[in-house]
Amino acid sequence: MAIEAFAQYLQNTPVSLFLQSQAPWLWPLSETLHFIGLALLIGATGFFDLRLLGFMKRVPIAVARQFMPLALFGFALNLTTGILFFVALPSQYVSSWAWWGKVAFLLVAGCNAMFFETTQGARILAIKEGEDTPLTFKAVGAVSLLAWFAVLYFGRMLPFFAEIR
Amino acid sequence: MAFLEWLQQLPFFVMIAESGSIWGYPTILVLHTAGLALVVGSALVVSARLLGMGALAPMSAFELLRPIMWVGFTVNAISGFILFAIAATAKAAQVVFWIKLSLVAVALVVTVRIMRIVEGAGDQGAVPASGRVLAVVSLLTWTGAIVAGRLMAYIK
Repeated sequence: MAIEAFAQYLQNTPVSLFLQSQAPWLWPLSETLHFIGLALLIGATGFFDLRLLGFMKRVPIAVARQFMPLALFGFALNLTTGILFFVALPSQYVSSWAWWGKVAFLLVAGCNAMFFETTQGARILAIKEGEDTPLTFKAVGAVSLLAWFAVLYFGRMLPFFAEIR
Repeated sequence: MAFLEWLQQLPFFVMIAESGSIWGYPTILVLHTAGLALVVGSALVVSARLLGMGALAPMSAFELLRPIMWVGFTVNAISGFILFAIAATAKAAQVVFWIKLSLVAVALVVTVRIMRIVEGAGDQGAVPASGRVLAVVSLLTWTGAIVAGRLMAYIK
């Protein structure tokens, strides 16, 4: 498969070889940051998702969204460290079912958030404090929660899932 | 030490450690990570609120996070105990394990006190200065517990 050839190529580039040589300290540090990022991302996103689902109605949706910088910071941490893991050892990731599952649910979570921001963002202010959320909001909140916990699941299963071949 | 050896040889823990099944050790790890997301994620959000983020959100609305945190904490107490028990003598010998446990204990006490402030706050109630101190300690101890927990895999 082309992706495996690319992974082989990437793994022999100077950048990848450098990251591999720094692994003894870089890997534990990046993993730790990845776990902290996970807590920030799921904490703040989950909080917003709960509001979209119709919980905490006394919190205006726009105010619940003010916690999203925490999620974006967590996502930035995890994207950076995640790319670092991948560039260091691409072959072990592209040959893992868990990694493809993780990428798939990252795409689901990303498309879901983009759909919400681009098509539903304007409706946020129209919903008054104490008012229930429309069905679209509830669906977006539910998909987001499921997708992020699926990302967590496949991420944590990375060391265990059997290889594709 | 005899107790720890007895513990890790109990059939249940031996089975989890050695079954090789996706539903054994890997699933316990997943549960421990999901519990982390629930407890620490919620604690970080409440702490951020005490430090001024989303200040227009009524404090009492954050009461919803209390059961979420307790579910996460219970899952992690149980999954954490299992992860300890399957390698009890090795884990007990790790300094970083005891550091993690201490940080979790402090974080738990601090978070309970934070939730008491949340409970007592009126909708327009200002955050007391002690709330901001507790929030900072909560941020430091929960992230510290994550650091120590992750390092358990590296510092033997």
